[in-house]
Amino acid sequence: MKNNNNIEPKIMPETNPKEINELKNTFRVASENIIAQTIERMKKTTPNRPKEMEYFDEIANLFGKRTKELDQAKAEGKKIVGYTCLFAPLELILAAGAIPVRINSGWYDTSKLGDRVVPVEVCPIIRSTIGAKMIEFSPFIEQSDAIIAVLTCDGMTKLSEILGDYKQILAMSTPRVKDSPQSLKFWTAEIKQIKDNLEKLTGNKITSKTLKAAILKTQRATRAFRRLQNLRKDNSVIFGRDAMLVNQAYMWDDIDRWTEKTDALCDELERRVQSKKWVCPSDTPRVMLTGTPIFWPDNWKLPSLIEEGTPQGVLVADELCSSERLLYDPVGIDEWTMDDMFNAIGERYLMASTCPCFTSKDGNEDRINWVLNKVKENHVQGVIYCVVRGCMLYAMEHTKLKRALDKVKIPVYYLDTDYTREDAGQLKTRIEAFLEMLNAQIDL
Amino acid sequence: MITVGLDIGTQSVKAIVLNDDDKILARAQTFSGFDPAKAIQDVIEQTLKTAGITQADINAFAVTGSSVELAPSNATTVSMMSADAKTATTLFSKVQTIIDVGAEEARAVKCDERGIMTDFVVNERCAAGAGTFIEAMARALEIKMEDMGTLSIKAERASSINASCVIFGESDVVSLIHKQEPKHEIARAVYDAMADRVSSMVHRLGINPEIVLLGGVAKDIGFVTSLKRKLGVDILIPEFPEYAGALGAALIVAAKERVR
Repeated sequence: MKNNNNIEPKIMPETNPKEINELKNTFRVASENIIAQTIERMKKTTPNRPKEMEYFDEIANLFGKRTKELDQAKAEGKKIVGYTCLFAPLELILAAGAIPVRINSGWYDTSKLGDRVVPVEVCPIIRSTIGAKMIEFSPFIEQSDAIIAVLTCDGMTKLSEILGDYKQILAMSTPRVKDSPQSLKFWTAEIKQIKDNLEKLTGNKITSKTLKAAILKTQRATRAFRRLQNLRKDNSVIFGRDAMLVNQAYMWDDIDRWTEKTDALCDELERRVQSKKWVCPSDTPRVMLTGTPIFWPDNWKLPSLIEEGTPQGVLVADELCSSERLLYDPVGIDEWTMDDMFNAIGERYLMASTCPCFTSKDGNEDRINWVLNKVKENHVQGVIYCVVRGCMLYAMEHTKLKRALDKVKIPVYYLDTDYTREDAGQLKTRIEAFLEMLNAQIDL
Repeated sequence: MITVGLDIGTQSVKAIVLNDDDKILARAQTFSGFDPAKAIQDVIEQTLKTAGITQADINAFAVTGSSVELAPSNATTVSMMSADAKTATTLFSKVQTIIDVGAEEARAVKCDERGIMTDFVVNERCAAGAGTFIEAMARALEIKMEDMGTLSIKAERASSINASCVIFGESDVVSLIHKQEPKHEIARAVYDAMADRVSSMVHRLGINPEIVLLGGVAKDIGFVTSLKRKLGVDILIPEFPEYAGALGAALIVAAKERVR
């Protein structure tokens, strides 16, 4: 039986349309509630929360404003290009006149449906994305005309095959060794291949003019992003879970508007710095998050537990591909020639990445240095290393990172969790013990 | 000054009463059962009675354990890890590595020379390294849980079982029974498997020569023997290891109260 994209499913099981509809409706109500409740709690537990967060609260509704805009854009003939990992070169998507949107799922409910296709041992981000596709739950997956599937970890690689039952997949293969000349050559060829495919998909030619405009667009976003991260370096003028929501909104928002709103937020925060208006006492333990990406809305469980508990912590930095890694590096251009722009895009997405799917002659040393650097710059007092069950690469890199942090006497806690609400009690106990420990060390 | 320390665990509730010199005036425990709120009330009343005091005499109230939310609202919460560290470093001065094995959870805590906690590990969402495992295996072996320890230390060798999960462990034990392996060797295998899990947690923190074992399972000679063998060092155990949480919480809160 062919599905609505006229592709015959090879992996996904046949589903009962009535059951799908029921599940879709139940999950939709539940998810809208969770989104509303999470935002409500963020508001309630933050004394004088920045006013400019209101925009991001609105855009955080995954079934709201942005979804309608994308529907409208599609109706006007624009193409939507979904992507799974942050290696997808957004500049090319934009230059081809399409709209990029990241499709990884943060829904707990749909991960249970994914269990019908893959074993429970598989990473819940993958299971949840599969489940979302199964019942056509994610507006962004449904709206995508094609999906750039970056073959990073094993989960993402096989996910691309499963999504291929429904969508046109534009696969991009990443090399495993990051710092060899042949890797960069291989990766640049992948970028060129994606360019051709995007042109075919949209019917638009990527010219030096459109590409330059796209690069300038993401460079402006990076500037706004960096402004926000710089504001988090010293006294806490914003909670980490708010900043993470801003960062994450970049994955689905209109980029120019996101930049404008982030700048407006930064203006407000700068005024607050001047009047010394902080969101928590100065002796609140300063925590950094690293590990498996944390996706809105359900997996906001973790940042919420850290910043809403007793004792309370404050997230001052993260090394997550769903937050601070999204925009950390701009595309660096020397000359605006087509070749130079391509090379710069290639380098920005490959060399700057700290994803554990890579290794290099020193191992994934870049990630360790990134974390150590952030710890120093943002005065981090403790690191929470979060791993979801089945996320092998992050789980395995923990030991090395812990050793590096031990040397500089920064405590690290390995927090293992899953896409479930039931472990919140246990996680709370552990996070509180960790924060209590940081407090005891700060008191000395 | 009178301080009450309460430890609300998954299986039982423990209470302890301290006087102004941090001496234990009374202690009591009971199963949490289906009505943990009542169990909490019962142990508190029992300890107060033993100590010969009333509710009004209590100056400070500390609570720890996995269900702290059930505690009276005037109680100050202390994490289980901090409570373990406090008890161990108070009772044994030089200790830096602490293991606590309770009914549902096993954890290891590391302290620096000053007794300040610097790291901890908890068995990750699995009861195979904790007391429940012994209970399930004793049931499979059709022996009393209290007898399993003494039975196991008679064994010269151990059978082999899987300790990654209580359920799979139980089916391993059943197949060993079917193979007619001696009960004491199976019992030892159960403890060895638990000790394996617990010692790998300790190794993740790094081993120090002085190790303290706390929690109800510290009273099980079978587990203690296996763990000593596995870690290759001697293990210190306080007189009432099951009260370690309640005591540590009370000591921490009492000290804070004095500063105030």
